[in-house]
Amino acid sequence: MTEYEAVIGLETHIQLNTKTKIFCSCKADSWADEPNTNICPVCCGLPGVLPVLNKAVVEKAVVLANAMHSEIQPLSYFDRKNYFYPDLPKGYQISQFDQSLGKGGYLDLPIPAANSFDKKAYIRRVSIWKLHIEEDAGKTKNAGNRRFIDFNRCGVPLVEMVTGPDLRTADEAAQYLIRLRQLLRWLGISEADMEKAHLRCDANVSIRVKGETVLNPKTEIKNVNSIEAVRDAIATEIDRQVREVEAGHRIEAWTLEWDEDTGSLKKMRSKETEADYRYFREPDLLPIRMTEEWKAKILAGFPELPLQRRARFVEQYGLPEYDADILTGERRLSDYYEEAVKDYGGDPKKVSNWLMNDVLRMINEQGLNPSEMKLTPQALASLLKLVDGGTINISTGKSLLQKVQDTGRTPEAIVSEEGLGKVSDDSAIRTVCEEVLTESPNEVASYKAGKVTLIGWFVGQVMKKMRGKADAAMARSILEELLK
Amino acid sequence: MDLCDLSALELSRLLGEKKTSAVEILESSLRRIGEVDGRPGSLNAGEITPNDRSRVHAMITLTEDLALEQAREVDRKLAAGEKVGPLAGVPFTVKDIFCVKDTPSTAGSRILANFVAPYTATPVERMVAAGALMIGKVNLDEFTYGSSTESSAFQPSTRNPWDTSRVPGGSSGGSTASVAAYEVPLSLGTDTAGSIRQPAAFCGVVGVKPTYGRVSRYGLIAFASSLDCPGPVSRTVTDAASMLQVIAGPDSHDATAATTPVSDYLSNLEMGVRGMRIGLSPDYFRITFPDGQGGFKEQELPAEIEKAVRHAADVLASMGAEIVEDVPMPNTRYGIPAYFVISRVEAASNLHRYDGVKYGLRTTQNYTDLKSMYKLTRNEGFGLQPKLRILMGMYVSAAQYSEQYYKRALRVRTLIRRDFEAAFDPAGNYRLDALLTPTTPTTAFEMDAVYGDSVLMQYADQLTVPANHAGVPGISLPGGLDSAQLPIGIQLLGADYSEDKLFRVARAYEMATESEDWRKVKPKVLR
Repeated sequence: MTEYEAVIGLETHIQLNTKTKIFCSCKADSWADEPNTNICPVCCGLPGVLPVLNKAVVEKAVVLANAMHSEIQPLSYFDRKNYFYPDLPKGYQISQFDQSLGKGGYLDLPIPAANSFDKKAYIRRVSIWKLHIEEDAGKTKNAGNRRFIDFNRCGVPLVEMVTGPDLRTADEAAQYLIRLRQLLRWLGISEADMEKAHLRCDANVSIRVKGETVLNPKTEIKNVNSIEAVRDAIATEIDRQVREVEAGHRIEAWTLEWDEDTGSLKKMRSKETEADYRYFREPDLLPIRMTEEWKAKILAGFPELPLQRRARFVEQYGLPEYDADILTGERRLSDYYEEAVKDYGGDPKKVSNWLMNDVLRMINEQGLNPSEMKLTPQALASLLKLVDGGTINISTGKSLLQKVQDTGRTPEAIVSEEGLGKVSDDSAIRTVCEEVLTESPNEVASYKAGKVTLIGWFVGQVMKKMRGKADAAMARSILEELLK
Repeated sequence: MDLCDLSALELSRLLGEKKTSAVEILESSLRRIGEVDGRPGSLNAGEITPNDRSRVHAMITLTEDLALEQAREVDRKLAAGEKVGPLAGVPFTVKDIFCVKDTPSTAGSRILANFVAPYTATPVERMVAAGALMIGKVNLDEFTYGSSTESSAFQPSTRNPWDTSRVPGGSSGGSTASVAAYEVPLSLGTDTAGSIRQPAAFCGVVGVKPTYGRVSRYGLIAFASSLDCPGPVSRTVTDAASMLQVIAGPDSHDATAATTPVSDYLSNLEMGVRGMRIGLSPDYFRITFPDGQGGFKEQELPAEIEKAVRHAADVLASMGAEIVEDVPMPNTRYGIPAYFVISRVEAASNLHRYDGVKYGLRTTQNYTDLKSMYKLTRNEGFGLQPKLRILMGMYVSAAQYSEQYYKRALRVRTLIRRDFEAAFDPAGNYRLDALLTPTTPTTAFEMDAVYGDSVLMQYADQLTVPANHAGVPGISLPGGLDSAQLPIGIQLLGADYSEDKLFRVARAYEMATESEDWRKVKPKVLR
């Protein structure tokens, strides 16, 4: 049987999180707004209006270009992309065509073993073919015979980024989007929420016999609004193309639409000829002159990127890849981790365990922001030291996490105030141990009959009575002595 | 002598001396409009009557209520001893290509006939802030596409006050006619290839095309965005300078508005021309057009027009200017073909927004789908000129032709710019302060004589369009009358931001010719 491989390129549109739109002073985000309430003459394309470029858009795009290893052009231009559509109020979109802000670039994508064919992790380098700034159009809603148009989204700043045909599996495509989303949030330039269309993706898919280098006719999949949907849609399309080719059919250059509900692709239109957008330079805007000075100002304080930090965590703290990946999933979390490690001074893996098992659960369940928690990295570090020093036991330590978060008081203060210090007084523990044994004659009998594993259960009973404060090791040796 | 016969400068003086009021000035203007303007342009005008043929028809929309409110405010301020702007109490008209809040802004087109703008164009706002009284929106070629004002969807179109059987020129024909007929001393026009200077020449008034970007385009309904310049129309050089002083300068709403500081146009206005170098170019004493076989045909200008320009040169020389003959401007001949391509590409794109979706006309015929709505609306809404320009613009910007036409035209544009750079280079061979040329190849032509022939119509702009390509400023001045008693225009072109110099030369010429006989002749509608 012939073995095929998929050739996938992704076109992404990234909504930048600027305060205002790209060419006017309306606010950029209209997520919660009624239709047509966040508009002005400029973004609605009234006669006589002119665009004025929002510099913050350029600055955020430069940050992204830098992260994608794209060459930032000293001189780039805006162009008009002409086409008619009701939600495109000017009848042209202001975009960048042949001389855009970023030139080339790539993203090195670590593919985890779990997502790999041969169960070995590898790196996929994805080239960037296009990186430019443009304005968004409005939204059209069809209701029966009628169209409703919402202009709120007109003029929202976007970066369009197109990859080369470098991705080979649906999983790789999903990984690309996962890493891109992580990066965008890390850089603070986009909310990158696919469900809210801050990050949109069209996928170009073709297949070829494995080992060949030709590019066969491709289909374009639109309307996929989650990473899972991108993965499913591409996988479905690859299967379809393989079936078609195996049946001796040709793949036609269709545009396909993903139907999330049925998990199937529908043909939107044939795409025999490229539309002619009659691009020409936008005469209403000056070129973007990216001086070295301006670029340096924008890139001052450019952060360590997630994949770099991930590698460093493995290297510097000896963390397993798994831990490093989770801890660098989000920038504030990884900052939190590093601060805690620094303050703690002990085993970084121990900090990672506490963070990943307990603190992260608090963060996720309670929707907390790691950089604004009352349980600061310093508090976590001192809590760990209290455990290490034997002042409190682990279970007390774990219950302290939420108390610190709730009150904002230091772990030390809470321990001393609530008398949470570990009880290592022999007689106090001994009294409780005796109580437990008296109350559990059946278990005592079983133990004595040889079921010595019950010792754990007895220790548990003691801990329960003492609300976790007992020194467990001491309780165990007293119990063993009493049960002799 | 009525108040409306006075210049803006004279009106300001009278107001300052409390010899009149803004309301009186306004009333005088409105009276004059009532006497000479006839019915305003409208969509369904019916038959053009003999009475119509004797009127000016500058207006589309009279905004007398707005003007009265502004006049009362000026009078109140004057009475209260408050400071008023430099154009306080001076009536002006606005070419109906500028948006003015709560006022119909039609572009002379059926497709925008019902459009009432929700905001005001920057130059209009600045005029009003300076105390000027906006008295009405005046007629123009549809979307400014023409040189005669005949292509307006609002008929009767404007007629030349000097001879109402002739066109006022265009596209700012309503502006120049309203000023020539002494309805107002000032008007705001736009110039994309000569649309201020050519009708100024035809109507015997002063028309200024400033340096590209000197005046904000915000609120100007775009024709060819890279060429469009708003500018003043007036009867005197001083009034034009005062008006430009008010409307020029950077604008946060227009990224292409120049941030270069605005010169003082008035202080040195009467300093004369001693020592200035003023050029004459043979390339501006003929028109050249493609002969259809790959070559060019040349045609000399009428002798009367050349004579007027040479007379102006003599006058300036007698005042101490140095006249530099034979300045080569070899790329002048390519101005119109390059303009044909560039302006149509931009125009076609700028017209995309008129689609029946958001504002303006939407067809009332039945349509089956979106595409048929677009087609019906645009077919009903656009007149002949926009349609021709869309067709041409779409054609020459198509991917397969763009290199051959559009990109080539852009290169030609650079060559034209170089002609000017060489002429004005202070270290070059010519070191000109200004180039003196005729404004137009002919005086005002008869109504209907050229209309419909868009190529021939376009050649009315051959001597004005190079300045738009190059972005440099130009002024057209009244330079005498021909044997048919029609005004002849002379043009001064200068380097970027040299409006102050051009005004100075123009004012010197104006003063030196003050007592010439032709200056005493008034347009026929006032005789």
